[in-house]
Amino acid sequence: MLVAFLTFWEVAARLAHNIGIATFSDTMVAAWDLMFGNGRIWEAMLNSNAALVLGFAISAVTAVPLGLAAGRSRILDRALSPYTAILLAIPVAPLVPIAITAFGLSLAARVSIVILFAVIFIYVNTRAGVRSVDQRLVEMAHAFGASERTIWTKVVIPSAVPAMFAGLRIGLGRALTGMVAVELLLVATGVGKLLLEYRDRLQPAYVFATVLFVIAEALLLLELARFIERKVAPWND
Amino acid sequence: MAAAAPQPTASAAPFDPAPAPRRPRRSLARRLPVEGLSLLAGSLLWEIAGRTMDLPWLPPLSMILADLVTLLGQESVRANIMASLQALVIGFAISLVFGLVVGALMGRFRSVEAALDIYVNALLVAPTIILIPVFFAIFGLGDGTRLSVVVVYAVFVIIINTMTAIKTVDPAMVEMARAFGASEAFIIRKVMIPASMPLVMAGVRLGLGRAVKGMITGEMLVTFVGLGALAARFGSQFDMSKVFAVSLIVLILAAVTNWLAQLVDDRLTRWAD
Amino acid sequence: MTDMTAVSTETQPPAPWPDDASLAAASHGGPMIELRGVSKEFLGDRSSTTTTHALDNISLTVNEHEFITVIGPSGCGKTTLLRIVAGLIPYDSGQVLVKGKPVTGPGPDRAVVFQSFALLPWATVLENVAFGLETRGIPRAEREEQARVLIKTVGLAGFESRLPRHLSGGMQQRVGLARALAVNPDILLMDEPFGAIDEQTRRIMQEELLRIWGYRRKTVLFVTHSMEEAVLLADRVILMSPRPGRVHEIIDVPLPRPRGRETERTREFTDIKELLWDKLRVMQTV
Ligand SMILES: Nc1ncnc2c1ncn2[C@@H]1O[C@H](COP(=O)(O)OP(=O)(O)OP(=O)(O)O)[C@@H](O)[C@H]1O
Ligand SMILES: [Mg+2]
Repeated sequence: MLVAFLTFWEVAARLAHNIGIATFSDTMVAAWDLMFGNGRIWEAMLNSNAALVLGFAISAVTAVPLGLAAGRSRILDRALSPYTAILLAIPVAPLVPIAITAFGLSLAARVSIVILFAVIFIYVNTRAGVRSVDQRLVEMAHAFGASERTIWTKVVIPSAVPAMFAGLRIGLGRALTGMVAVELLLVATGVGKLLLEYRDRLQPAYVFATVLFVIAEALLLLELARFIERKVAPWND
Repeated sequence: MAAAAPQPTASAAPFDPAPAPRRPRRSLARRLPVEGLSLLAGSLLWEIAGRTMDLPWLPPLSMILADLVTLLGQESVRANIMASLQALVIGFAISLVFGLVVGALMGRFRSVEAALDIYVNALLVAPTIILIPVFFAIFGLGDGTRLSVVVVYAVFVIIINTMTAIKTVDPAMVEMARAFGASEAFIIRKVMIPASMPLVMAGVRLGLGRAVKGMITGEMLVTFVGLGALAARFGSQFDMSKVFAVSLIVLILAAVTNWLAQLVDDRLTRWAD
Repeated sequence: MTDMTAVSTETQPPAPWPDDASLAAASHGGPMIELRGVSKEFLGDRSSTTTTHALDNISLTVNEHEFITVIGPSGCGKTTLLRIVAGLIPYDSGQVLVKGKPVTGPGPDRAVVFQSFALLPWATVLENVAFGLETRGIPRAEREEQARVLIKTVGLAGFESRLPRHLSGGMQQRVGLARALAVNPDILLMDEPFGAIDEQTRRIMQEELLRIWGYRRKTVLFVTHSMEEAVLLADRVILMSPRPGRVHEIIDVPLPRPRGRETERTREFTDIKELLWDKLRVMQTV
């Protein structure tokens, strides 16, 4: 199947005669060069991922507790709900110039955009996870005289873990989008810079190769998240 | 947390969703329009902060709203809104047709699913934005780029949901229809399609939200027209109030389209809620 | 919602009990369902090579107007038998005849009532009952008119525009029964139709079924897990044994009709039930 797809790519690209389309073989050569020739992909990835890691970590650390709290407290939940709705609906891209104005062309600007992309999905899913805890389990724990603390650590949080992880996975994907978005839009650095540069130099094979690297990173990170999830919450699946 | 609520015995508060006896404090909290108050408080805070701190990136809310009104009054801005809407409508229509057809085929035929599954999933989770430079390289500054960005943002979630919907149609329903001698076409029309409608519509609504994001992102990155181009231009002029105003327009656009989709959804799946 | 299963039973027309002469006049004579040495194996998944021998050399004749119940331990192939007669799945060997013709698929002469009700959740009671007629291409006005008659028959008048999820389990199965009756089949195939319904409602449903059956005396093949139900309803009880599924024994139920709750208090009823239990308990593996 993969072979069929790659053949299709190769043939279609050759037939297309479009200056923007690279063939599969050219893309592979470019990928090799990016890794072992000029080796630029490593530095770009490292640079980009600094914003990703920081932004995602901050998002997780704020959104998970907030989601748990909103899952518990109806008032907090209702107070946050208009902002949740806005953040879910609003495209972040137009806000990039604002982050740049606030933080300059710095790592902080990139991190803040990553957070804007990622944080809401982690929050929403964590909250939903707490909300959907099986009430019979909570009742059971109450019936056994469990303290609220026990109920939280033994019932509520473990039941919310699958939804929470789903949120973290979505958030991770969104964080990657944010990372690339700033780099493409304003702060030309990392893989974004690489992409724009090769695009302007009309080297589509390098553009394609860079894209493949980012997609590969996305899939790898998600697989890693799944792996961690299975370790943390093996009862789920 | 809930300490903000007027509760007399915070320590005795049981886990909130537990079926504890209802106490009067909850009915008070329930009657208060917390959402509206919170939104009001946030707006006020923004206004005050904007006025007192005088930060370039935090214009007072009133200024943003004033700019919003000014912008909406300008012919050129309205033309840009129309250009964005056009890309959105056409791009979303393409996503809809393509997503429903491919999703239905994947749901119905295992071979199609096996062939396409990994690509659809990879493109669903991978950062779609990375493809924009590729489209630009292929299509240049034309409509091809704008439309293809909207499509890649919207289409995959529609495909996935449609596929899942078809695959999870209750086999008992299909068997029932067979037992009454229904033809294959009849089963598709009268059983499969209605049964999959809730999930399909959920995918369509998600896709619509993503289409709006794709539209604006594509316009910011690669074209000179539309709301995205407007936002990019004001951004480069450091006119943050207008950037916020444009974002607000996009937000309104997202809300209106979502409301429309909701209307359709409610009509089609009234039985399901 | 309060249990509506008892509603409007008394507003029904009194069951006209057909005398044997008039039934015989309407009869076509021969057996309605015939199975001759029918066997069925299920192949396991592609991954495993395990095959299940669900039915082995089943022979059985069901005559017109007969009410047959099928009972046996879980997994002995009752559902499989029913689905084969319904024409929903193919069989490996032997012969299945309905009204003398081999079964090649579902047909208008048979209608099925499902344990899980299998009502379309987006369709109203009226639309659900009319579904079988709709598959046959009958125009809306006509099929709805017929459906309304059947809705009355099963005691659901006034609920025509409800959705299934707004009905109790008993009411939902009334819809399932009405849907099957609406296509006016010669044969009713019922797979544990009351299995998912609570005990009290089930008893009422059994009486209702007997009452409705009394009008027309359709041929019924009825799968059940309940020994009372098997004996109360049947002219003959088919006792099946598992692994592979076989007809273990056929037990006659010569109790007089019309039957009702009084029937269960008779000595004869209890005797047959006990006989059934004696035979079933030796099959029970656990
Ligand atoms: N589609 C199928 N594929 C594979 N095996 C099947 C299939 N349907 C039924 N079987 C197997 O055939 C045997 C008979 O199944 P069947 O459903 O007919 O039993 P049953 O008597 O109706 O049981 P129950 O009383 O639990 O409803 C069982 O062992 C079952 O696992
Ligand atoms: Mg069964």
